Amino acid sequence: MKKLNNYRRNFLKNSGYLISSLLLSSIFKINISYAKSKLKPRIIIVGFGIGGATCISYLLKFSKNFDIIVIEKNERIQTCPMSNLVIADIIPYSYISHDFDYMRLKNIKFLNSSVKKIYTSKKIIETEESSKIYYDYLILSPGINFKNDIDGYNHKDKSIVPHCWDGTKNIFKFKKRLNDLEKKSTIIISAPDYPYRCPPAPYERASLLANFLKRKKKKFKILILDSKDSFTKKEIFLNEWRNYHRESIEWISKSKGGKITYFNKKENYVKTSNGSKFKADFINIIPNQKAADILTISKLNGNKDWCEVNPMTFELKNFRNIFVVGDSIDAGDMPKSAFSANSQAKILASNLVNRIYEKDLLNPVFLNTCYSFSSSKRAFSITSWYKLNKKKTRIVSLGSSTTNVDALSHQYFDETRQAYGWYENLVKTLYG
Amino acid sequence: MKKSKYFISLMLFPFHIFADDIEINVIIENCKSCHGQNYEGNNYIKSLKTLEKEEFISKMIKYINSNNDHVMSRISKVLNKKDILKIAEEIYEKVE
Repeated sequence: MKKLNNYRRNFLKNSGYLISSLLLSSIFKINISYAKSKLKPRIIIVGFGIGGATCISYLLKFSKNFDIIVIEKNERIQTCPMSNLVIADIIPYSYISHDFDYMRLKNIKFLNSSVKKIYTSKKIIETEESSKIYYDYLILSPGINFKNDIDGYNHKDKSIVPHCWDGTKNIFKFKKRLNDLEKKSTIIISAPDYPYRCPPAPYERASLLANFLKRKKKKFKILILDSKDSFTKKEIFLNEWRNYHRESIEWISKSKGGKITYFNKKENYVKTSNGSKFKADFINIIPNQKAADILTISKLNGNKDWCEVNPMTFELKNFRNIFVVGDSIDAGDMPKSAFSANSQAKILASNLVNRIYEKDLLNPVFLNTCYSFSSSKRAFSITSWYKLNKKKTRIVSLGSSTTNVDALSHQYFDETRQAYGWYENLVKTLYG
Repeated sequence: MKKSKYFISLMLFPFHIFADDIEINVIIENCKSCHGQNYEGNNYIKSLKTLEKEEFISKMIKYINSNNDHVMSRISKVLNKKDILKIAEEIYEKVE
């Protein structure tokens, strides 16, 4: 408590730093003063996705000691995990769409807005309504942004098949376009280059689209045009396609001409790096990715695609008291996944509290388990523990392992149950 | 499984992959991702609350010993006897 008491005393001594208060509307209609908090350190969390919500779940028990504000642009959370199952009509949309549990979060202020800019020298964030809010500690869990590095492609273009890689309601538009396909069609799915959110998901999507179209008794061919020469769980995916979609899914690696360089939306074709041209009825480009816009606009990622953080604390390099978690960071060997973000956020929140109370920091270990489905009855996973290197500057893998490609059907089915089990416990903890 | 049996099994795993300065609670927080905040499980993952402490330890030993690729077998491979006993201590101290 020593640090906290010091904080209060210091603040009261220096209370000259007050900006006139402004009332902001929130989900709760709570009035938030943007002035520096008089009694408690203020922690602002931007983004209520998996990373942000995990931080909140860990900070909840300290909510009387801290002034906690959450800023989230959406009124509901739609998770990326399990979204390919929604696309394939295996589970309903409601399964991945979550309300906020206001009762559980009653000591936390919610602001339904997004952050336009961060002024690090003044420790102020500016919301889209141009309101400014002071922070003592800022946690950013903003997701990702997309690159427009394919000639002719713009990820914001509403007339094309949405990438469906960002947890938005575009999933309905994607499903409609899929449902509208004729009885015989060609589909292209482009797989981005590393690093990107949820590495096995393009291949899971191909598997589940094939599964969906088969159930609809439609004839189809899915081409996966890849910007890479290999991918996670490759052996299992290839085996699943051989066994269940022999003629209907084809993977074309980068070295075989899979990397898309040009997209023609009017005539529905793409060209790849070796000059090959592929025409299709449904082109789902999953673009290359980078850190969320707010980090670039506020110059927090040093002109790099991903933010560099101290993996003990997730504090941004060169920016004290600003922490980033989840898909926008360079997490060393850890993939960008919901499981990873959840594991990282636990350390972030715990060590932030330890820092505020001047306690020793925890030495982290992280876990990632990433499930992929190839049908409603078959799933498989990759799992790995991670720790820090000796210098404690980088997250390193202790070695990953996957489901055995020769696993029996009941083992693949068991993994579907484990995937649902993980997801349901995760969202119950985070969203109630 | 009798106590003596699982202690013998534990002796087979002297390898400690985590550093000694890693607190067991940090490992356990990762278990909660699947097993629930209070290890309550759900329709798909059994509650750890329904197990006795010794049963939990013996199951963990089985996972480590097993050559199958069950997710728990793969996840628990990095743990050693000290870790498992400490985890059991923590979980069953807190579970009523």
